[in-house]
Amino acid sequence: MTSAQLDKMRLELRRGVLVLAVLASLKQPHYGYSLRKQLQDGGIDIDEGTLYPLVRRLAEQALLNSEWRQGEGRERRYYQLSELGAQLLDQLTEEWQQLNSALGSLLGSALQEIK
Amino acid sequence: MELVKRYIAAVQRELPDAKRDEIGRELTANIMDQLDALAEQQGELSEADIANLLQQMGHPRTVAQQFAPPQPLISAGYMSLYKNTLFMVLGVLFLLQVVDSTSAWLGSSQMSFLLFIKSLASGFIQDVVFGFTSITLAFWLMSRYQPRQHSQCEQSWQPAQLPKVGPHWQHIALQDIFSDLATYLFLLIVIWYPLWLSAEQLANSRFLFTDNAHQLLKWASPLALLGIANSLWQLRKRFWSRNLLMANILINASFVLVILLLTASSPLINPELKIWQGVFDLHQLERAAVYSLVITALVPLWEVVRDIWRLRRLS
Repeated sequence: MTSAQLDKMRLELRRGVLVLAVLASLKQPHYGYSLRKQLQDGGIDIDEGTLYPLVRRLAEQALLNSEWRQGEGRERRYYQLSELGAQLLDQLTEEWQQLNSALGSLLGSALQEIK
Repeated sequence: MELVKRYIAAVQRELPDAKRDEIGRELTANIMDQLDALAEQQGELSEADIANLLQQMGHPRTVAQQFAPPQPLISAGYMSLYKNTLFMVLGVLFLLQVVDSTSAWLGSSQMSFLLFIKSLASGFIQDVVFGFTSITLAFWLMSRYQPRQHSQCEQSWQPAQLPKVGPHWQHIALQDIFSDLATYLFLLIVIWYPLWLSAEQLANSRFLFTDNAHQLLKWASPLALLGIANSLWQLRKRFWSRNLLMANILINASFVLVILLLTASSPLINPELKIWQGVFDLHQLERAAVYSLVITALVPLWEVVRDIWRLRRLS
């Protein structure tokens, strides 16, 4: 497999997971840069070009609330999970746990076969 | 900070009007936060540091496209319907152009066969430009204002209604149907030309064949009507079945018979026809007409042989 193929598949694999990670991180209010830091600290590295448009898209779908606040001499747009977003996060978390558990056993048996 | 302002302005130029201010404002706040974080690590920032950070963020057009991804002219949901509509409408426009050019050809004393082909081609190209633009514009508006819903047909389909697996030739191409329809229409218009022309046009017109041959063609015109009905049936089914193949064999075999009868009903060429007579004598023209008709008969004959072979393959 070429590195371009790997990059493409990795991108596809991460796409859905990033939505879950962003929704989970926004239980607390965050502005763009602080959200990115929080995700990085949690082990999820995401570039600005992906994160900022993703957050805006989730806000447009009414999954996030947002407001401009003044702080440290500058305005920032803070995002936080909306009621609809919280419901969706619960459902997605349950889905993720089922998927993760099923994948865990599939990948476990695949690993054993390789060994 | 001049560089940041220029960068934001460049991104905003690539954004739709409705999102320009909001995204510019948010992007500025995000970049300023990143610069603050960088200044905390490195101390005071130079122009080169700022340029480096902006470079890492990506080209303004790329950033703008991430915020507002470009929308295709026709949405994927409409694409199949769009292509089908386009081919059908262009097929119908071709038929109308055949009718129009053939009537003009028959009614004009100046127009040669080459001019007829030119008139047909240029008229059809004009129709294609108009048809393509209008259909694309209509589907663009539909894609923009009315997202595609699944049609009743897509919701209530049954696997049992799908056609049986067959060879690839069983699917009937639209261009085959429309070229058959154009041929039948052309024949009908040419055979019944006195009906479409005014008295003045009729006086200017000339018919290639003798009255005797013309009479035979008139008797054969129901065959062209049957051919049109058969093509419309094909358009509805778009799949060769035994019945459709048998109908096609019968119609094409009848056409072969009519053409052979025509070649046998000598004389064929109208002696009043002056055109070409300076170049060839009437006997040569008569022989050329017979050879041309025999060659023409080979086309429906080939279809008869092909369809018999297909029929045997199906059974």
